Amino acid sequence: MKTLNIKIFSITAFALLALTVGCKKFLDIDPLFTQDAENYFQNPGDYDLALIGAYDLLQGSFLNVWIGEIASDNSIAGGESVNDTKGLHEIDDMIHGGVNIELRQVFRWNYAGITRANYILQNKDNIDFDGKEVILAETRFLRAYYYFQLVKFFGDVPLIIDERLGVDEVQDLERTPKSEVYAQIEADLEYASGILDWTNPVKGRATKGAALSFLGKVYLYQDKFTEAASTLDQVIAEGGYSLIPDFNQLFTVGNENHSETVFDVEYSGLEGGSYDCLICLEGNAAPGFHGIRQYNGPVYGDGNSYNLPTQELYDAFSSNDLRRDASILDIDAFIAAQPNSGEITYAIGGGGHTGYYNNKYIKKQGEIGLPDNDLTSPVNYRAIRYADVLLMAAEAHNRGAGNDAKALEYVNLVRSRVNMPALASGGAQLTQEIWNERRFELSGEGHRFFDLVRTGQAADAIDGFTSNKNELFPLPQVEIDLAGGNWNQNPGY
Amino acid sequence: MFKKILLTLIIGALSSVITAQQTTITGQIKDESGITIPGVTIVEKGTTNGTVSDMDGNYSIKVTESPTTKLLYTFIGFAPKELVVAGRTKIDVEMEPSVAALDEVVVVGYGTSTKKELTGATSKVSGESIERLNIPRMDQALQGQVSGVTINTNSGSPGGSSSIRIRGLSTFGDNDPLILVDGVVYDSEGLNALNPNDIESINVLKDATAGIYGVRAANGVIIIETKKGKANSKPQFEVSSYYGIQQASKRLDLLNAQEYAVIKNEMFANGGETVPFANTDLGAGTDWQDEVFTTAAISNYNVSMSGGTKSTTYSVGGSYFTQDGIVGGDKSNFSRYNARVNISTELSEKLKLNSVLLYTHESRNTLPENGIGSVLYNTVNAFPTDPVISPDGNYSYLEEVSDIINPIAQMENTHNNSLVDKIVGKEELVYKINKDFDFTNRINYNYALVDTKVFSPLAWYGPGKAQNSAINEDLDPSLVEIGDSVFIERGASVFEQRATYLDLNFESFLNYSHVFNTDHTVKGTLGASVFTRQGAGLNGTAFNIPNNSEDYADISANQAPGGFLNNVGSFQFEERLLSSFLRAEYGYKYKYLISGLIRRDGSTKFGPNNRYGIFPTVSGAWVFSEEDFFTVPIITFAKLRASYGVSGNDQIPNFAYRAQLNGEGVYVFNDVITQGVALGRASNPDLRWETTRQLNIGVDLTFWESFNFTTNFFLKNTYDLLFQPDVSAVIGSYGPGGQPPIINAGDVSNRGIELELGYSTDPRKALVFSSNFNMTAISNKVTAVPDGVDFLPGASFGVGGNIATRFEEGFAIGYFNGFETDGIFQSQEEIDNADVVQQGAQVGDLRFVDQNGDGVINFNDESDKVAIGSPIPDFTFGLNVNVRYMGFDLSANVYSAIGQEIIRNYERQQPYANQLDYVIDRWTGGNPSEVNPRVTTSSTQNTVFSDYYVEDGSFVRLRNIQLGYTISKSLLEKIKVESVRVYISANNLITLTNYMGFDPDIGSAGGTLAAGVDYGFYPQARTFMGGINLKF
Repeated sequence: MKTLNIKIFSITAFALLALTVGCKKFLDIDPLFTQDAENYFQNPGDYDLALIGAYDLLQGSFLNVWIGEIASDNSIAGGESVNDTKGLHEIDDMIHGGVNIELRQVFRWNYAGITRANYILQNKDNIDFDGKEVILAETRFLRAYYYFQLVKFFGDVPLIIDERLGVDEVQDLERTPKSEVYAQIEADLEYASGILDWTNPVKGRATKGAALSFLGKVYLYQDKFTEAASTLDQVIAEGGYSLIPDFNQLFTVGNENHSETVFDVEYSGLEGGSYDCLICLEGNAAPGFHGIRQYNGPVYGDGNSYNLPTQELYDAFSSNDLRRDASILDIDAFIAAQPNSGEITYAIGGGGHTGYYNNKYIKKQGEIGLPDNDLTSPVNYRAIRYADVLLMAAEAHNRGAGNDAKALEYVNLVRSRVNMPALASGGAQLTQEIWNERRFELSGEGHRFFDLVRTGQAADAIDGFTSNKNELFPLPQVEIDLAGGNWNQNPGY
Repeated sequence: MFKKILLTLIIGALSSVITAQQTTITGQIKDESGITIPGVTIVEKGTTNGTVSDMDGNYSIKVTESPTTKLLYTFIGFAPKELVVAGRTKIDVEMEPSVAALDEVVVVGYGTSTKKELTGATSKVSGESIERLNIPRMDQALQGQVSGVTINTNSGSPGGSSSIRIRGLSTFGDNDPLILVDGVVYDSEGLNALNPNDIESINVLKDATAGIYGVRAANGVIIIETKKGKANSKPQFEVSSYYGIQQASKRLDLLNAQEYAVIKNEMFANGGETVPFANTDLGAGTDWQDEVFTTAAISNYNVSMSGGTKSTTYSVGGSYFTQDGIVGGDKSNFSRYNARVNISTELSEKLKLNSVLLYTHESRNTLPENGIGSVLYNTVNAFPTDPVISPDGNYSYLEEVSDIINPIAQMENTHNNSLVDKIVGKEELVYKINKDFDFTNRINYNYALVDTKVFSPLAWYGPGKAQNSAINEDLDPSLVEIGDSVFIERGASVFEQRATYLDLNFESFLNYSHVFNTDHTVKGTLGASVFTRQGAGLNGTAFNIPNNSEDYADISANQAPGGFLNNVGSFQFEERLLSSFLRAEYGYKYKYLISGLIRRDGSTKFGPNNRYGIFPTVSGAWVFSEEDFFTVPIITFAKLRASYGVSGNDQIPNFAYRAQLNGEGVYVFNDVITQGVALGRASNPDLRWETTRQLNIGVDLTFWESFNFTTNFFLKNTYDLLFQPDVSAVIGSYGPGGQPPIINAGDVSNRGIELELGYSTDPRKALVFSSNFNMTAISNKVTAVPDGVDFLPGASFGVGGNIATRFEEGFAIGYFNGFETDGIFQSQEEIDNADVVQQGAQVGDLRFVDQNGDGVINFNDESDKVAIGSPIPDFTFGLNVNVRYMGFDLSANVYSAIGQEIIRNYERQQPYANQLDYVIDRWTGGNPSEVNPRVTTSSTQNTVFSDYYVEDGSFVRLRNIQLGYTISKSLLEKIKVESVRVYISANNLITLTNYMGFDPDIGSAGGTLAAGVDYGFYPQARTFMGGINLKF
C-alpha cells in the first residue's frame, strides 16, 4: 500500500513537473501585430515613419505662443479663473517657480521630440538607401528646433546626441553649458541646410530656407550678428520668399503655404481631442483657447478667453497701422459695429479681462475643427515667416557691421506692406525702431518675451521682472529631483 | 512522533490478536429529514478500523466484541455521533446537523477544509444570506458580510460595479482580489453575469494561505461555489420572484430660484459686476432633481431544479432580471438572462465528472456618470431660474455656463448600449486512485462576446456648449474640408465594437488524505495549472446616420460620402500563466495543525529576466480547547491560528517589460493627417511582480456551542509596488502615446484587526434567532515612494488644476492634501493685523493656516498644504440579524463605515452654477459666518482645494430589512407544494450620515487615487420589494 502510494505520488509529480518545465516555451510569446522598438529600421519606409513621429512634437508649439506672449508685456493669462491653468497666471505675474505644469510640458515635450529624433539618428547606419540623407537632414533640423526651445526657456540643458537614455543613466547627467548646446544646434542646422532643397513638394516638411532662417535666429540669439546677417542674406537672396500683400490674410486657414511661409507647424481640424492630452492633438489648441468666452455672434467662435492682449500693446500701435486691428480684436468695438449688435453676447472670464483678444490665432467661423472644437483648430502656427527673416536680417546688419542701409531696406519692406512710412534713422535709434517693429509685426506669435530678454529690454518692459533671474525660466523642480538632484536651479529661483 | 505511531500500531496489532472475537454490524445512516447520507466515516473508536457508508447510506463494519466497543460516526456538516455497540448487530443512525458549524465545509484553493481544521484566515458567507438581500450583484451583496473586506459602490447605476478591497489597499495599481466562480476566474465587471440566487457559498481567503494562488493572490481571493444537487434526493423545483420600485434615497438641498437669484445678485455685486436678476421674486423655479430622478422598477424571476440519483447530482436553473435606473429609467437599464447546468456524475466507481455551465446574456444602457459633464453633475449645477423647456419649445440652453448642459436633453441624446454574451464553465474529472488519492483534471473556460454601440445624434445644447455635435439649433451638421475647398457634412455618428475574450485554464492536481492511526491526519496537494487569456476586438465609427435617428444607428446605414470620416480600429492581446504548487498539511488529533505550501508561477507579464516567482506560506493552528488543562466550561472550542507567507501581484499591462512602437507619431503633411510611428512605453526588462508578505494571528472561540467568536490581527506589507511613476523628461517618454516605464518601487503597509461574532439558537426550535456582527479596522500607510519622487499626484479638484489626492510616504494611499482653513476673516483689521500674509484676502474670505510658519500663505507651492482627509474608513461594521418565529421571519442587514472623508467635487465653481443651500449661511456683513465664505464673482482663493471642500463621509445604513411568512407544510401538502414563502423587503431604507452629497457610499470614479472624490456619483436607490419563493 505504502509503496503504491509513493508510486502514485512520484508518477504524478513527475508528470506535473514535466508539464510545467517542458512548457517553458509556452511563456515565450510576442506582442501581436506591433513592432518592437529594438528591431525596427529594417527598410527605408521605417525611417520615414519614425520621422513623422519626430515631427509630431512640433504641435506642442501652442505653448510657445502662450508663454512667449503672457510672460511679456503683450498679454495677460486670462481664462476661467486664476486657478485655471495656474502656471500661466504665475508666469503672467512673474511669480513662477519650480512647480509649473506648463513649463514642465515645455521641458517634457521638447525632450520627447529630441528622443524621437535621436532614435532615428541612433539607427542611421542600419541600412543604406536613396533619400536617407534627406531624412537625416530633416531629423537634425527637428532636433535643433527642439533644443533651441529648451535653451531659450531654460539655458543650460543636458545635451543628448544620437542615443536614448535609460532611467539609471539620467542620474549621472549634467546640464550642458548653453554654448555647447548652441554649437550642436548650429551643427545640426548647417548639416540640414546643406542637404535640403529650398522647396519641398510636401507641405509641412522642413526646407533649406527653414534651416537657414532658424540658423540665423540662433546666431542672433547669441549676438553673432555677422553670421546671422550672412545666413539671413542667403535666405533673402536665394530663398525666393516674398511678403504677401494683405497682412489681414496672413493667419487664415485658407491662406497657408504661400510665398511668406518659411516654416509652419502644421495642424488639422479633422480629428477630435480631449483636454487630458493637449500634446496628442492634431489640431492647434491656441485659437480655441484664445476664443471669446461663451461668444454668440458672427465671424468668431466661442472659446476660453486665454492670452488676452493688453491695453498697453494696443496703445503702442500707431492708429493708422492696420496691423493693430489685424493683431488685436477689440471685442466691444467689433460688436458695436455689427448690424445685430444687440443680440451678440459673450462672457468675461474670472482669469482677467482686457477687452482685447488675440486676433491672429483665434477661433473663427469656417475654421472650426471637429469636436471638441476648442482644441482642434486647423490653423497652422507660423513658426518663421519671411517678415521675421527680414526683421532679423535688419537687426543683424544694424547691430553687427552697422550696415544701416541694408537694415533700413529690410525693415522698410515690412513697413511698406502695411503702408507705414519708411524709417530713415540709424545706429541705436534704428536698433530700437527695429525692435519695436518686431513687436508690431509679430505680436501674438510667441516671440515677444524672448525678444525682450535677448535685447535686454525685459526688466523695463515687464512688470515684476527681476533681472538676473527672469531671463530664464526655472527648471521644473521635479525634473531636477528625477535626474538625481544634481542640477543647480537657475539663478534666483 | 514516529515512535508514537509505531507504538500505537503495535498495541493495535496486539489487541487484535488477543481479542480475536469479532462481529459484523450493519445499518443505514440518515439525516434528520430521513434522507440517507453517503460517505459517512465510521470508525471503531480507539482503532484504525473503519469504513464509509455507501450511496444509500448503508454500511457494514467488523468490530471487536466487547462491552466497551464504540462506533464513531463523522461526516462534514453534521455533529459527530458516538454509540456503544452493546451487542447489537444492526445500528441505524440519524445524524444531526452541526450547530456549532465547526464542521462546515470551507473551500480553499484546490481542496476543501473545515472550519475546525483551518489554519488560515478565511471567512464564509452562505448563499442564503446573499440571496436574501435581493441585491443584483454579488459584490454589493457582500458588503458588510465579512470582516476584512471593504466594498464601495463605484456607481449606483444598474449593473454598476463595486470596488472590493480585501484587507485594505496594498498597491498603487490594481487592488481587485482574484475572484473564482467554481474555479473560473471572473473580473469585477464580469460579476454582472452571476445571479446571486445561484450562489451556494462565498469563501474569502484573506491571509497568506491564499498564496496557493501565487502571483495573483496578493489582493486576496474570493472563491464562489454555485449550487449543486444532493445525491439520492427527489427533484426539487424552486420558483422565486420579486418585484420592486426604486427611488432616489436622497435629494440634495439646492437653492430654489428665488434663493438662487438673491445669492447670485449678491455674488455679482460683490464682484463689481451688474447684477443678473432685476427681479428676484422668482418662486421655487425648476427643481432639476425632480425632473431627472424617476421611480424605476426592478424585478427578478428565478426557476431552478435540483436533485440527485445514486450516482448523479444536478442543479439547473434559469433567471431573468431587469432593473431600470432612478436616473434615466430605461436609459440606464440593466437586464440579465441566465441559464445554468451543474451536473456531477460517477462515470464509474472511480471516475467522477463534475460539469458546470453558465450562459448569460446581459444588456446595459449607460448615461454619462461620475464626472464633470455627467447627467447628475449637470442636474446639480443647472440653474433653477431656467425652465426645462424654454417658451420657444427647445430644451433650455442654460447659456451662462459653457459646460453645463440641460440634463434632460442630455439623457434624450444619449444612446449607449452594451450587450454581453457569456459562456462560462468547467469540465472536471476526478479519478479516485484509491482511498487516499484523488487525481483531478479540469478545464475551466470563460468566453465573453461584448458588443458595444454608441449612437451620437446631432445635438444642440445651446451656444458655446462643448457637447454640441451640430452647429446650430436647426441641427445642421458641421462641414469638414477633406481637400482643397471640398467639404462634406459631419452628421450623426455611430460607434460599434465587437470584442471577444476567452480565458482557458487547465488544472491538474493530486490530493492525498490519510489518517494514520486515527490521530495523525496527513493531507497533501500537488498540482499544476496552465492559464491563457486572449482578447480581440474590432470597432468602427460611421458618420451621417440617416434621419438623425437611433432607428438607423448601424454602421451599415451610414451615408458618409466616399466613407470619409468613417474609421476603424482593432485590438488583440494574449497573456499566459504557468504554475505548479504543493501543499502539505499535518494534524495531530485535530489539536495541532500545521500546513505549508509553495507555488511557482511563470507569467508572460514579465520578461525573461524575472519570469518565474516562488511563493511560500506556512501556517499552523492549536486547538487548545482539546488540551486536558483547558477547563473553561463555557468555551467549547478554542483555537489559535498563525500564518505567514508571500504572495504576488502581476496586474500590469502586457509586455510592459519591452519597448514597443505603440506611441502616437502623427503629423499633418499636405493637410492630411499622416500616421508615423513613435516609441510607446519605455521598457524595463527587469520588471518583476510585487510581493506581499502577510502575517496573520487569529483566535476562534465557541461559547456555549452557539456563540462563535473570531478575531484576526494582520500585518500586510507590500513591496516593490508595480508603478508607473514620473521619470526624468530627458528619457523622452512624454510625447503623444508615450509613457514612462513601469517599475518596481514603493512599499505599502496595512495593519488591521478583524472581529466576527456569530450567534444562533437551535434551528429546530419554534423561535430561532441568529445574528452575526463583524468589524474591521485597518490602518493603511505608504512606507516608500520611488527615488526622486515626493509624491504621486492623484485626482484633481475642480476644473483645471489643484491636485487633491496623493500617494505619499507616511500617509494613506490617496489621502487628501490641501490647505487647512481657520474660519473666516471677519474684518479688515483682522486681515491687516494678522501674523500671516494671505495675498488677496478680503473680509469674508476663508482664512488659511500657515503650516510652514514663514508668515505667508504660499498658494504657489506645496509648503502650506497638509493632510486634510483620507478616503479610507477607520472602521467598518456589518450586522445581520435574523429572527424566525413560527412561520414568520424578520431579517435586517446594517453596514457602517466610520472615519473616512469625501471631497465635495460636484459643484461647478462658476458664477451661474447652482449651489447647495449651505450658501444661504454665507458670510455677509450682517451674517458673520465662521464657516462659509462670502460669495463673489471676482477671483478669490476660496476656491483652492482646502478642508472647506472635505466632508466627513461616515455613515450607517440599513441596507436591507425584510419580513417574510412561510406557510405551514400541513396546509400545503394537499397541493403538493413543499413550501411557500412570501416577503416584503426594503433596501437602503435608512442612511444616517452628515455627508451633504447624494450617497456617502462611494468608491472610485477612476483608479485607486480617485477614491472618495465625489463628482456627483450615481447614488444607490432606495428600493421597496415584494417577493415569493415556492418549493415543490
